[in-house]
Amino acid sequence: MKKEAVVLYLKNSSIMKGLQIIYQIAILYAFTWIGNVIHHIFPIPIPGSIIGLILLLICLSLKIIPLKIIENGANFLLAYLPLLFIPAMIGIMNYPSLFSISGAILCLIGIVSTIVTMLVSGTASQFLEKKTLKRKDNKKCSSHLSQSL
Amino acid sequence: MQQSLIAIIVILGTVVVYLAMAKIYARLPNPILIPVLTATTLIILLLLLTNISYDEYMIGGKWINSLLGPAVVALAYPLYKNRHILISYIYPIIVGVLIGLFSGMISGILIAKVFGINRDLILSIIPKSITTPVAIQIATDLGVEPSMTMVFVMIAGFSGVILGPLFLKWSRINSSIGRGIALGSASHALGTSKAFEYGELTASISSVSMTLCAVLGSIFGPIIAWAFHI
Repeated sequence: MKKEAVVLYLKNSSIMKGLQIIYQIAILYAFTWIGNVIHHIFPIPIPGSIIGLILLLICLSLKIIPLKIIENGANFLLAYLPLLFIPAMIGIMNYPSLFSISGAILCLIGIVSTIVTMLVSGTASQFLEKKTLKRKDNKKCSSHLSQSL
Repeated sequence: MQQSLIAIIVILGTVVVYLAMAKIYARLPNPILIPVLTATTLIILLLLLTNISYDEYMIGGKWINSLLGPAVVALAYPLYKNRHILISYIYPIIVGVLIGLFSGMISGILIAKVFGINRDLILSIIPKSITTPVAIQIATDLGVEPSMTMVFVMIAGFSGVILGPLFLKWSRINSSIGRGIALGSASHALGTSKAFEYGELTASISSVSMTLCAVLGSIFGPIIAWAFHI
């Protein structure tokens, strides 16, 4: 009885959860590593981590890897993702010129280009969506017609 | 020995500052107080005050950086979870994301060229609409400083969150697919967080668009840079 209680306690403790997350991140790390190896061996112009992403997606889809094995680790990394950007972001301390007029122009370029992207992609996809819906409606109509005929 | 001590202090310090800033943001959810921004500003101020260089900070910072690879791989998880949405709207999503990707990169290059911006800066603008961990990777592949690209990634994210809803309304982009693809392919993760306010479907489409944009952007980014002779 006592032993079972201890096992149950261990299973639910935060230490076990922490270990599980570390183990799952190690699996994700292995995918990154394999992706990097593939990137170096074959002349594929895709970054290693993206190759890892595609490999993981294939493994999940073909049920080679159960979702449970990476779920908590992936959720953890994605939840704390902003923390991981900080060291790279701090690099701007080497560019004090950014806080000047040329910095303001660059900021403006970024904003205008983002709005353009948003309007073009949004309008295009909404147009395509309506077109596909219409086509589906037409198909439905024609099938109804053929049935009534 | 001293190196590992510095590394531990840097890692712990960064985590503590980030968690504190995240707590403040949870109390006051204002876009200006987003934890990445406040934490970065605070750490830069601390480094400047204590006269520590970026290279010294990176003795510990590189360990945090090394988690970016697995974080990119982890993006497979939301993509897998939303695979039904991707499959049922495959045509508008793929075409919309490709159009978004190309218009984002090319408009950035052209506007920057009009202003006579130098080559390195134009290269750092190219991956601005792509989620940060992948944008860092693309910037490195293009041979530019990732921190510069990150500034543009942040600008793209914030202009999408703050100005996005206004422009979406004005241009009558009102379907879940239109809004999701617009926010996800222009403003990556920050846009996706905004998409949640339009509902679950918009957010899922935004998340799928963001991930597809990252995968396709890592392929097309260098090609576009090459095509425009940068």
